[in-house]
Amino acid sequence: MKLQTKLTLFNAVSKLVIVLLFVALLPTLIQNINRNYTDNRLRKQQDKVIQTVRKNGIKYYITNDEGYGSYTLLKEEYVSMDIVPFHDRLDTIRNERRIVEGDTIQYRILSHTFVIGKKNYLLEIGKSVSTIAETSGPLQSLAFEVLLGMILLTILADLFYSNYVLRPLGQIIKTKLVGAKFPHFKKYEKVQTSTSDFEYLDSSINRMMETIESTFQKEREFISNASHELMTPISILQSKIENMFSIEEVSDEQKIRLLEMQRILNRLKSITKTLLLISQIENEQFIREDTVLVTDLLNEVYEEISIRLQEKNLTFEIDVPFHVHLVKVNKFLLFNLFFNLVNNAIKYNVESGSIKITGRREKNNLIIAISDTGIGIKQEQLPHIFNRFKKFRQSMQQDSFGLGLPIVKSITEFHHIRVTVLSEEKVGSTFELNFPEEIIEG
Amino acid sequence: MNVLIVEDEKALARELEIFLSGNNFLCETCYDGVSASEKIATNQYDFILIDLGLPDYDGLDLLKEAKRDNPEAACIILTARAEVNDRITGLDMGADDYLPKPFSLMELQSRMQAILRRKFGLKHHLVHLGNFVVNLTDRHISYNNTIISAVTKKEFDLIAYMILHKNRTLTRPQLSEHIWGSVVNDDYDSNYIDAHIKNIRKKLNVYESPEWLETVRGLGYRINL
Repeated sequence: MKLQTKLTLFNAVSKLVIVLLFVALLPTLIQNINRNYTDNRLRKQQDKVIQTVRKNGIKYYITNDEGYGSYTLLKEEYVSMDIVPFHDRLDTIRNERRIVEGDTIQYRILSHTFVIGKKNYLLEIGKSVSTIAETSGPLQSLAFEVLLGMILLTILADLFYSNYVLRPLGQIIKTKLVGAKFPHFKKYEKVQTSTSDFEYLDSSINRMMETIESTFQKEREFISNASHELMTPISILQSKIENMFSIEEVSDEQKIRLLEMQRILNRLKSITKTLLLISQIENEQFIREDTVLVTDLLNEVYEEISIRLQEKNLTFEIDVPFHVHLVKVNKFLLFNLFFNLVNNAIKYNVESGSIKITGRREKNNLIIAISDTGIGIKQEQLPHIFNRFKKFRQSMQQDSFGLGLPIVKSITEFHHIRVTVLSEEKVGSTFELNFPEEIIEG
Repeated sequence: MNVLIVEDEKALARELEIFLSGNNFLCETCYDGVSASEKIATNQYDFILIDLGLPDYDGLDLLKEAKRDNPEAACIILTARAEVNDRITGLDMGADDYLPKPFSLMELQSRMQAILRRKFGLKHHLVHLGNFVVNLTDRHISYNNTIISAVTKKEFDLIAYMILHKNRTLTRPQLSEHIWGSVVNDDYDSNYIDAHIKNIRKKLNVYESPEWLETVRGLGYRINL
């Protein structure tokens, strides 16, 4: 999940939780507020009534010891005064039910006793509770709506702000990391940001990539230069040996020794040529502009290599039942790719074994598999078979220096072909080449 | 035939000289660009072999001078740097051929002969081997005017290469280098040359035993003409 999504999600959830908590507590809160308010109001009214009573005299309200009572028309509030025994002392506010004209109504009642002229009076001021509850409901839903609106507003604000603040991070990921072709990096373009952390991240990534690239560059240059430099001395030795061959005085015995030297030199030349080829591929010095028919290419490889099949009495079968062209490829390299794979299939095959090249379409990709009935590759060796100079002596009949598969790897990477290997010891190996859609036509 | 060898690696220049002189070429050698430039301006050559990587001179400049001062000469570029762009530039500037180092002297000779045939209109394309006739231009072998179609491309390459170096023993590494050329693989020793020769013999034996194709024990093969 993206950082921005996570942040927005967290913000939204946390705010929602807070609001729900608030809304759940709202009835109690409102009730408390209302009660306090009512109680305060009742006290004020109590003071007012007592002041009025003192001013007007109690007789104005109570005559012949009869109580005084007054209800408003709506029965929401009432005031009553009564004479109570002298020892009764009260000063409370509580909820009580009263029956007024046949209706049972819940009242918040202030009961207060006061003494005027050696008589004890009880003052009661009541306020209907239903009016209190009535205000609580709308208040609650209003609070909920206002809060919900505010939450949506803040989530949107969060989203926009995090989007704005995190944009440089997204850019760093998109332009520097995703799709960066290792180790060929694009030219450094500073990501525009005022956030120092991102600036630091961007410059650090860039520094690391520069280091990696320069190391790779140095390695490639070294291999390329070393191979080039080796070519001249090899050339001199080769010419010297060739010239010695044509000297008549050189005996056949000496010539056989010269031949041995020539073989060793050829081995050296082959290694140098291979390294040079790999470094040239990795330096992208080949042009991908050829169009080749897959079956033609495979037949060419077969023609080139058929002599080796005869040596081991191997059967060879090409089963690519369709006309597919590979476009924007380098024919020389693809030829080398198949040549090396088929050559390996021969080299590690058993006497009278077989090699089969099959082709199939999978979605828009093309898969070509080269299978042999050879000695197979040990499971523990499989991850290393494409490593340069990691040589496994599987066959003592043929000698090689383990650069065939690194060539294969370089060529497949150059053409974005995915290569997978399936192998079982003493049963055989299958190299599967998955050609991407963009180089397939037909 | 006059050849100017421009090569700063003295050892290689010397070997080129020995080889070409042995093949009846008259050789002159320069180890640097300045003296080569002088020689090109003053003499006429049939072949100029130019090493592109000269320490004091741009090989391509030298090629330009050669084309200007020595228009009849066939120029072959020799270089350790064999990148496509170098090759294209060299050939575009009028080089007749291009030989990346390390090259086989035999190949150099073959290419020089090919240039001779092409450039000087020499026609050696029909070669008689016993009752067999090899047509180097159409690339086929015939017996009593019947083309032997069983001979494959590779096998013909082998025969043609041995014809160009007739009467000389060619070793397996020499033959395989010529036959495999640009294909890079990691085998440095294989007996597929023997297998090819065996196949050629088998195919020709149907008509007549190819006595002219000789196996030189322990060394290689030779076509005797």
